Amino acid sequence: MSRAPLFALALALALAAPAFAAPADDPITPAPTAKDWQALAQRPDWSGSWFPVISDQFAQVTSNPVPWKPEVQKQIDHWDAEEKAGRPRGLLLDCLPHGVPSFYLITHNSIEILQTPGRVTILGESDGNRLVRIWTDGRKAPADPDPSFHGYNIGTWQADTLAVSTTAILPQTWLAVSEAVGIAIGEGAHVEQKFHLIGPDTLAVDLTITAPAVLTKPWETRRLFTRKRARSYEIVEGVCRQGDFEETTDQWGNPAWSPLAQSADGNVLAPPAK
Amino acid sequence: MTPRRLLGSIAAHGLALGLALGTGLTPAAAHHSFSMFDPAKPLQFEATIQSFQWTAPHAVLWVQAGQVGAYGPGLWSLELPTSPANLAKMGWSRNVVKPGDKVVVSINPIRDGRRAGQFKKLTIVASGHVLEALNIPGQTQQPPK
Repeated sequence: MSRAPLFALALALALAAPAFAAPADDPITPAPTAKDWQALAQRPDWSGSWFPVISDQFAQVTSNPVPWKPEVQKQIDHWDAEEKAGRPRGLLLDCLPHGVPSFYLITHNSIEILQTPGRVTILGESDGNRLVRIWTDGRKAPADPDPSFHGYNIGTWQADTLAVSTTAILPQTWLAVSEAVGIAIGEGAHVEQKFHLIGPDTLAVDLTITAPAVLTKPWETRRLFTRKRARSYEIVEGVCRQGDFEETTDQWGNPAWSPLAQSADGNVLAPPAK
Repeated sequence: MTPRRLLGSIAAHGLALGLALGTGLTPAAAHHSFSMFDPAKPLQFEATIQSFQWTAPHAVLWVQAGQVGAYGPGLWSLELPTSPANLAKMGWSRNVVKPGDKVVVSINPIRDGRRAGQFKKLTIVASGHVLEALNIPGQTQQPPK
Protein backbone atom coordinates (compact mmCIF):
# COMPACT_ATOMS: atom_id res chain seq x y z
CA MET A 1 0.00 0.00 0.00
CA SER A 2 1.35 3.42 -0.88
CA ARG A 3 1.62 6.18 1.73
CA ALA A 4 -1.30 8.23 0.35
CA PRO A 5 -4.06 5.66 1.10
CA LEU A 6 -2.57 5.07 4.57
CA PHE A 7 -2.70 8.79 5.28
CA ALA A 8 -6.29 9.00 4.05
CA LEU A 9 -7.26 6.07 6.27
CA ALA A 10 -5.64 7.67 9.32
CA LEU A 11 -7.34 10.97 8.60
CA ALA A 12 -10.73 9.30 8.22
CA LEU A 13 -10.32 7.43 11.53
CA ALA A 14 -9.27 10.62 13.30
CA LEU A 15 -12.28 12.53 12.03
CA ALA A 16 -14.72 9.72 12.71
CA ALA A 17 -13.68 8.99 16.27
CA PRO A 18 -11.89 11.88 17.95
CA ALA A 19 -9.88 10.68 20.88
CA PHE A 20 -11.03 13.51 23.21
CA ALA A 21 -14.69 14.32 22.73
CA ALA A 22 -16.50 16.89 24.87
CA PRO A 23 -18.38 15.25 27.74
CA ALA A 24 -21.97 14.34 26.97
CA ASP A 25 -23.30 16.45 29.86
CA ASP A 26 -21.46 19.74 29.64
CA PRO A 27 -23.97 22.52 30.36
CA ILE A 28 -23.22 26.01 29.16
CA THR A 29 -23.12 28.75 31.80
CA PRO A 30 -24.96 31.69 30.25
CA ALA A 31 -23.49 35.17 30.30
CA PRO A 32 -24.80 37.14 33.30
CA THR A 33 -27.49 39.69 32.59
CA ALA A 34 -27.77 43.20 34.02
CA LYS A 35 -30.40 41.80 36.37
CA ASP A 36 -27.94 39.20 37.62
CA TRP A 37 -25.41 41.91 38.44
CA GLN A 38 -28.08 44.09 40.08
CA ALA A 39 -29.15 41.16 42.25
CA LEU A 40 -25.71 41.18 43.88
CA ALA A 41 -26.53 44.57 45.39
CA GLN A 42 -29.18 42.85 47.52
CA ARG A 43 -26.62 40.51 49.09
CA PRO A 44 -24.84 41.37 52.34
CA ASP A 45 -21.71 43.46 51.91
CA TRP A 46 -18.75 41.19 52.54
CA SER A 47 -16.18 43.42 50.86
CA GLY A 48 -12.83 44.13 52.44
CA SER A 49 -10.37 41.62 53.86
CA TRP A 50 -11.34 39.21 56.61
CA PHE A 51 -8.72 38.40 59.20
CA PRO A 52 -9.18 35.31 61.39
CA VAL A 53 -9.67 35.71 65.13
CA ILE A 54 -6.76 33.42 65.90
CA SER A 55 -7.12 33.36 69.67
CA ASP A 56 -10.68 32.15 69.25
CA GLN A 57 -9.50 29.29 67.04
CA PHE A 58 -7.63 27.87 70.02
CA ALA A 59 -10.47 28.70 72.42
CA GLN A 60 -12.97 26.86 70.24
CA VAL A 61 -10.92 23.67 70.26
CA THR A 62 -10.45 23.88 74.03
CA SER A 63 -14.06 24.62 74.88
CA ASN A 64 -15.60 22.41 72.22
CA PRO A 65 -13.23 19.48 71.63
CA VAL A 66 -13.24 17.49 68.43
CA PRO A 67 -15.20 14.21 68.88
CA TRP A 68 -12.34 12.02 67.70
CA LYS A 69 -12.87 8.27 67.58
CA PRO A 70 -10.96 6.62 70.44
CA GLU A 71 -8.31 5.14 68.17
CA VAL A 72 -7.84 8.52 66.47
CA GLN A 73 -7.68 10.29 69.83
CA LYS A 74 -4.58 8.20 70.60
CA GLN A 75 -2.88 9.54 67.48
CA ILE A 76 -3.93 13.09 68.31
CA ASP A 77 -2.56 12.68 71.85
CA HIS A 78 0.70 11.40 70.37
CA TRP A 79 1.17 14.40 68.08
CA ASP A 80 0.10 16.74 70.87
CA ALA A 81 2.77 15.24 73.12
CA GLU A 82 5.35 15.44 70.35
CA GLU A 83 4.70 19.14 69.91
CA LYS A 84 4.88 19.78 73.64
CA ALA A 85 8.20 17.90 73.69
CA GLY A 86 9.65 20.22 71.06
CA ARG A 87 9.24 17.84 68.14
CA PRO A 88 6.30 19.34 66.26
CA ARG A 89 4.85 17.57 63.27
CA GLY A 90 4.66 20.00 60.39
CA LEU A 91 1.30 19.32 58.78
CA LEU A 92 1.77 22.05 56.19
CA LEU A 93 5.48 21.85 55.45
CA ASP A 94 4.87 20.33 52.05
CA CYS A 95 3.06 23.53 51.05
CA LEU A 96 -0.01 21.62 49.95
CA PRO A 97 -3.22 23.52 50.76
CA HIS A 98 -4.88 23.45 54.17
CA GLY A 99 -8.01 22.41 52.26
CA VAL A 100 -11.56 22.43 53.62
CA PRO A 101 -12.22 22.51 56.54
CA SER A 102 -8.75 23.45 57.89
CA PHE A 103 -8.67 26.47 55.57
CA TYR A 104 -11.27 27.95 57.93
CA LEU A 105 -10.25 26.19 61.14
CA ILE A 106 -6.59 27.17 61.52
CA THR A 107 -5.65 29.81 58.95
CA HIS A 108 -3.64 32.77 60.24
CA ASN A 109 -3.99 34.92 57.17
CA SER A 110 -6.59 37.13 55.54
CA ILE A 111 -9.27 35.93 53.16
CA GLU A 112 -11.25 37.91 50.62
CA ILE A 113 -14.75 37.05 49.43
CA LEU A 114 -15.76 37.95 45.90
CA GLN A 115 -19.38 37.87 44.79
CA THR A 116 -20.17 37.61 41.11
CA PRO A 117 -23.20 36.14 39.35
CA GLY A 118 -23.55 32.43 39.95
CA ARG A 119 -20.65 32.02 42.32
CA VAL A 120 -18.90 33.20 45.45
CA THR A 121 -15.12 33.03 45.31
CA ILE A 122 -12.91 33.01 48.38
CA LEU A 123 -9.32 34.02 47.93
CA GLY A 124 -6.94 33.02 50.67
CA GLU A 125 -3.45 34.15 51.45
CA SER A 126 -2.76 31.24 53.75
CA ASP A 127 0.69 29.69 53.33
CA GLY A 128 0.25 30.25 49.63
CA ASN A 129 -2.56 31.84 47.66
CA ARG A 130 -5.69 29.72 47.61
CA LEU A 131 -8.98 29.60 45.76
CA VAL A 132 -12.33 28.27 46.95
CA ARG A 133 -15.09 28.36 44.38
CA ILE A 134 -18.66 28.16 45.71
CA TRP A 135 -21.30 27.66 43.04
CA THR A 136 -24.55 29.54 43.68
CA ASP A 137 -26.12 29.07 40.25
CA GLY A 138 -28.47 26.33 41.31
CA ARG A 139 -26.42 23.43 40.07
CA LYS A 140 -26.06 20.17 41.93
CA ALA A 141 -22.69 18.63 42.71
CA PRO A 142 -21.59 16.28 39.94
CA ALA A 143 -22.25 12.61 40.54
CA ASP A 144 -18.55 11.79 40.64
CA PRO A 145 -16.45 14.93 40.90
CA ASP A 146 -12.68 14.77 41.06
CA PRO A 147 -11.72 14.99 44.74
CA SER A 148 -9.80 18.13 45.62
CA PHE A 149 -8.37 19.89 48.66
CA HIS A 150 -11.23 22.38 48.81
CA GLY A 151 -13.86 19.98 47.52
CA TYR A 152 -16.89 20.72 45.38
CA ASN A 153 -18.81 23.59 46.94
CA ILE A 154 -22.50 24.22 46.39
CA GLY A 155 -23.86 27.40 47.94
CA THR A 156 -27.41 28.56 48.57
CA TRP A 157 -28.51 31.89 49.96
CA GLN A 158 -30.81 31.69 52.97
CA ALA A 159 -31.68 35.34 53.54
CA ASP A 160 -28.31 36.92 54.40
CA THR A 161 -26.63 33.60 55.16
CA LEU A 162 -24.63 31.69 52.59
CA ALA A 163 -25.04 27.96 53.25
CA VAL A 164 -22.34 25.85 51.64
CA SER A 165 -22.14 22.11 51.25
CA THR A 166 -18.68 20.74 50.51
CA THR A 167 -18.13 17.22 49.24
CA ALA A 168 -15.43 15.45 47.22
CA ILE A 169 -12.68 16.40 49.65
CA LEU A 170 -9.41 14.53 49.16
CA PRO A 171 -9.16 12.02 52.02
CA GLN A 172 -5.59 13.15 52.74
CA THR A 173 -6.81 16.68 53.57
CA TRP A 174 -6.09 17.59 57.17
CA LEU A 175 -8.73 17.91 59.83
CA ALA A 176 -6.42 20.00 61.97
CA VAL A 177 -6.62 21.73 65.34
CA SER A 178 -3.19 23.35 64.88
CA GLU A 179 -0.29 23.31 62.45
CA ALA A 180 1.22 20.40 64.36
CA VAL A 181 -1.84 18.38 65.36
CA GLY A 182 -4.41 16.92 63.00
CA ILE A 183 -5.45 13.82 61.14
CA ALA A 184 -6.34 13.07 57.53
CA ILE A 185 -10.07 13.63 57.17
CA GLY A 186 -10.59 10.31 55.39
CA GLU A 187 -13.15 9.03 52.94
CA GLY A 188 -16.72 10.27 52.83
CA ALA A 189 -16.22 13.62 54.53
CA HIS A 190 -18.83 16.31 54.17
CA VAL A 191 -18.48 19.84 55.49
CA GLU A 192 -21.37 22.27 55.81
CA GLN A 193 -20.62 25.95 56.38
CA LYS A 194 -22.88 28.86 57.10
CA PHE A 195 -21.32 32.25 56.44
CA HIS A 196 -23.12 35.16 58.06
CA LEU A 197 -22.42 38.49 59.73
CA ILE A 198 -22.85 38.61 63.50
CA GLY A 199 -21.68 42.21 63.72
CA PRO A 200 -20.95 45.01 61.28
CA ASP A 201 -17.41 43.76 60.78
CA THR A 202 -17.55 40.22 62.16
CA LEU A 203 -18.16 37.24 59.94
CA ALA A 204 -19.03 33.90 61.50
CA VAL A 205 -18.40 30.64 59.70
CA ASP A 206 -20.43 27.93 61.41
CA LEU A 207 -19.06 24.56 60.39
CA THR A 208 -20.59 21.14 60.70
CA ILE A 209 -17.88 18.64 59.90
CA THR A 210 -18.93 15.10 59.14
CA ALA A 211 -15.97 12.76 58.85
CA PRO A 212 -17.06 9.17 59.48
CA ALA A 213 -13.51 7.85 59.21
CA VAL A 214 -12.26 9.79 62.23
CA LEU A 215 -15.16 11.33 64.17
CA THR A 216 -17.80 9.68 66.34
CA LYS A 217 -20.31 12.36 65.36
CA PRO A 218 -20.36 15.56 63.33
CA TRP A 219 -18.29 18.33 64.92
CA GLU A 220 -20.03 21.69 65.04
CA THR A 221 -17.68 24.58 65.54
CA ARG A 222 -17.49 28.29 64.74
CA ARG A 223 -14.70 30.40 63.33
CA LEU A 224 -14.68 34.18 63.29
CA PHE A 225 -13.17 36.66 60.89
CA THR A 226 -12.87 40.41 61.42
CA ARG A 227 -13.27 42.82 58.55
CA LYS A 228 -10.28 45.00 57.79
CA ARG A 229 -10.36 47.78 55.26
CA ALA A 230 -6.80 49.02 55.78
CA ARG A 231 -4.63 48.37 52.76
CA SER A 232 -2.10 46.55 54.93
CA TYR A 233 -4.66 43.76 55.27
CA GLU A 234 -5.26 43.28 51.57
CA ILE A 235 -4.19 39.82 50.61
CA VAL A 236 -0.93 39.73 48.75
CA GLU A 237 0.97 37.18 46.75
CA GLY A 238 2.04 34.35 49.01
CA VAL A 239 4.11 31.65 47.40
CA CYS A 240 4.62 28.98 50.01
CA ARG A 241 7.67 27.37 48.47
CA GLN A 242 9.48 30.65 47.97
CA GLY A 243 10.63 30.33 51.55
CA ASP A 244 12.43 27.13 50.63
CA PHE A 245 14.88 29.08 48.52
CA GLU A 246 17.31 31.94 48.88
CA GLU A 247 18.19 34.53 46.31
CA THR A 248 21.38 33.94 44.42
CA THR A 249 22.85 34.31 40.95
CA ASP A 250 23.61 31.58 38.46
CA GLN A 251 26.96 31.04 36.75
CA TRP A 252 26.15 33.74 34.20
CA GLY A 253 25.13 36.27 36.81
CA ASN A 254 21.36 35.98 36.30
CA PRO A 255 19.09 36.29 39.34
CA ALA A 256 18.20 32.78 40.51
CA TRP A 257 16.99 30.70 43.43
CA SER A 258 19.06 28.32 45.49
CA PRO A 259 17.45 25.69 47.77
CA LEU A 260 17.86 26.24 51.50
CA ALA A 261 18.78 23.48 53.90
CA GLN A 262 15.91 22.66 56.24
CA SER A 263 15.48 20.45 59.24
CA ALA A 264 12.78 17.81 59.29
CA ASP A 265 10.50 20.19 61.15
CA GLY A 266 10.80 22.83 58.46
CA ASN A 267 13.19 25.27 60.03
CA VAL A 268 15.66 26.78 57.60
CA LEU A 269 19.13 25.98 58.78
CA ALA A 270 22.43 27.71 58.95
CA PRO A 271 25.47 25.41 58.76
CA PRO A 272 26.28 23.31 61.85
CA ALA A 273 27.55 25.40 64.73
CA LYS A 274 30.54 23.26 65.56
CA MET B 1 15.91 53.48 76.48
CA THR B 2 12.86 53.92 78.69
CA PRO B 3 9.61 52.34 77.60
CA ARG B 4 8.20 55.80 76.87
CA ARG B 5 11.18 56.74 74.72
CA LEU B 6 11.03 53.36 73.04
CA LEU B 7 7.40 53.85 72.08
CA GLY B 8 8.26 57.33 70.86
CA SER B 9 11.02 55.90 68.74
CA ILE B 10 8.68 53.36 67.26
CA ALA B 11 6.05 55.98 66.51
CA ALA B 12 8.72 58.10 64.87
CA HIS B 13 9.49 55.24 62.57
CA GLY B 14 5.87 54.83 61.63
CA LEU B 15 5.58 51.46 63.29
CA ALA B 16 2.30 50.16 64.63
CA LEU B 17 3.58 47.87 67.29
CA GLY B 18 1.96 49.56 70.25
CA LEU B 19 -0.58 46.85 70.82
CA ALA B 20 2.01 44.14 70.50
CA LEU B 21 4.54 45.55 72.92
CA GLY B 22 4.72 44.27 76.42
CA THR B 23 1.98 41.71 76.12
CA GLY B 24 4.40 38.82 76.62
CA LEU B 25 2.26 36.61 74.42
CA THR B 26 3.58 33.86 72.26
CA PRO B 27 3.36 34.68 68.58
CA ALA B 28 0.95 32.68 66.50
CA ALA B 29 3.13 30.92 64.02
CA ALA B 30 1.73 30.10 60.64
CA HIS B 31 2.83 27.15 58.55
CA HIS B 32 4.42 25.23 61.39
CA SER B 33 4.60 25.05 65.13
CA PHE B 34 7.53 26.77 66.80
CA SER B 35 8.01 24.23 69.56
CA MET B 36 11.31 23.12 68.01
CA PHE B 37 12.71 26.29 69.56
CA ASP B 38 13.53 26.35 73.25
CA PRO B 39 11.97 29.27 75.12
CA ALA B 40 13.76 28.17 78.29
CA LYS B 41 17.17 29.06 76.83
CA PRO B 42 16.78 32.52 75.32
CA LEU B 43 19.87 34.10 73.81
CA GLN B 44 20.83 37.69 73.16
CA PHE B 45 23.89 38.56 71.12
CA GLU B 46 25.43 41.10 68.77
CA ALA B 47 25.35 40.29 65.09
CA THR B 48 25.61 41.74 61.61
CA ILE B 49 22.76 41.49 59.14
CA GLN B 50 23.70 39.36 56.17
CA SER B 51 20.27 39.35 54.51
CA PHE B 52 16.58 39.55 55.25
CA GLN B 53 14.60 36.87 53.45
CA TRP B 54 11.18 38.49 52.98
CA THR B 55 9.27 35.39 51.89
CA ALA B 56 6.12 33.46 52.69
CA PRO B 57 5.28 31.51 54.72
CA HIS B 58 7.90 32.82 57.21
CA ALA B 59 10.42 35.61 56.79
CA VAL B 60 13.96 34.73 57.83
CA LEU B 61 16.70 36.99 59.11
CA TRP B 62 20.24 35.78 58.34
CA VAL B 63 22.91 37.24 60.61
CA GLN B 64 26.63 36.70 61.18
CA ALA B 65 27.80 36.51 64.76
CA GLY B 66 30.99 35.81 66.65
CA GLN B 67 31.24 33.32 69.49
CA VAL B 68 27.88 33.09 71.30
CA GLY B 69 28.26 30.98 74.43
CA ALA B 70 29.08 27.49 73.19
CA TYR B 71 28.17 28.36 69.61
CA GLY B 72 31.07 29.00 67.29
CA PRO B 73 31.22 32.10 65.07
CA GLY B 74 29.16 31.92 61.90
CA LEU B 75 25.86 32.35 60.15
CA TRP B 76 22.55 32.16 62.04
CA SER B 77 19.08 31.73 60.56
CA LEU B 78 16.47 33.49 62.67
CA GLU B 79 12.93 32.60 61.69
CA LEU B 80 10.18 35.15 62.14
CA PRO B 81 6.81 33.89 63.32
CA THR B 82 4.82 34.64 60.21
CA SER B 83 4.62 35.82 56.62
CA PRO B 84 5.58 39.16 55.09
CA ALA B 85 1.86 39.90 54.71
CA ASN B 86 1.27 39.61 58.44
CA LEU B 87 4.60 41.22 59.37
CA ALA B 88 3.62 44.24 57.29
CA LYS B 89 0.59 44.62 59.56
CA MET B 90 3.03 44.75 62.49
CA GLY B 91 5.08 47.56 61.00
CA TRP B 92 7.74 45.52 59.25
CA SER B 93 8.87 45.84 55.66
CA ARG B 94 11.56 44.21 53.56
CA ASN B 95 13.70 47.31 54.11
CA VAL B 96 13.61 47.57 57.91
CA VAL B 97 17.14 46.24 58.05
CA LYS B 98 19.88 46.19 55.46
CA PRO B 99 22.98 44.07 55.00
CA GLY B 100 25.80 45.24 57.22
CA ASP B 101 23.57 46.68 59.94
CA LYS B 102 24.95 45.99 63.39
CA VAL B 103 22.19 44.64 65.60
CA VAL B 104 21.52 43.01 68.93
CA VAL B 105 19.15 40.08 68.51
CA SER B 106 17.08 38.14 71.02
CA ILE B 107 16.10 34.62 70.04
CA ASN B 108 14.93 31.25 71.28
CA PRO B 109 17.51 28.78 69.90
CA ILE B 110 16.55 25.64 68.04
CA ARG B 111 16.90 22.53 70.17
CA ASP B 112 19.21 20.62 67.79
CA GLY B 113 22.22 22.82 68.50
CA ARG B 114 22.52 24.52 65.13
CA ARG B 115 22.89 28.25 64.78
CA ALA B 116 19.20 28.79 64.23
CA GLY B 117 16.44 30.26 66.27
CA GLN B 118 13.07 31.84 66.62
CA PHE B 119 13.38 35.58 66.23
CA LYS B 120 12.11 37.55 69.21
CA LYS B 121 13.52 41.06 68.95
CA LEU B 122 16.32 43.13 67.48
CA THR B 123 17.80 46.52 68.16
CA ILE B 124 19.66 48.35 65.41
CA VAL B 125 22.74 49.60 67.21
CA ALA B 126 23.21 52.80 65.20
CA SER B 127 19.67 54.08 65.63
CA GLY B 128 18.35 52.31 68.69
CA HIS B 129 15.42 51.25 66.54
CA VAL B 130 13.69 48.20 68.06
CA LEU B 131 11.80 45.60 66.05
CA GLU B 132 9.69 42.85 67.54
CA ALA B 133 7.24 40.31 66.18
CA LEU B 134 5.06 39.41 69.11
CA ASN B 135 1.51 39.16 67.86
CA ILE B 136 -0.27 39.21 64.60
CA PRO B 137 -2.88 41.93 65.10
CA GLY B 138 -6.18 40.25 65.83
CA GLN B 139 -4.63 37.24 67.46
CA THR B 140 -5.77 38.25 70.90
CA GLN B 141 -8.98 39.88 69.87
CA GLN B 142 -11.94 38.58 71.75
CA PRO B 143 -15.04 37.54 69.86
CA PRO B 144 -18.11 39.75 70.18
CA LYS B 145 -20.43 38.83 73.01
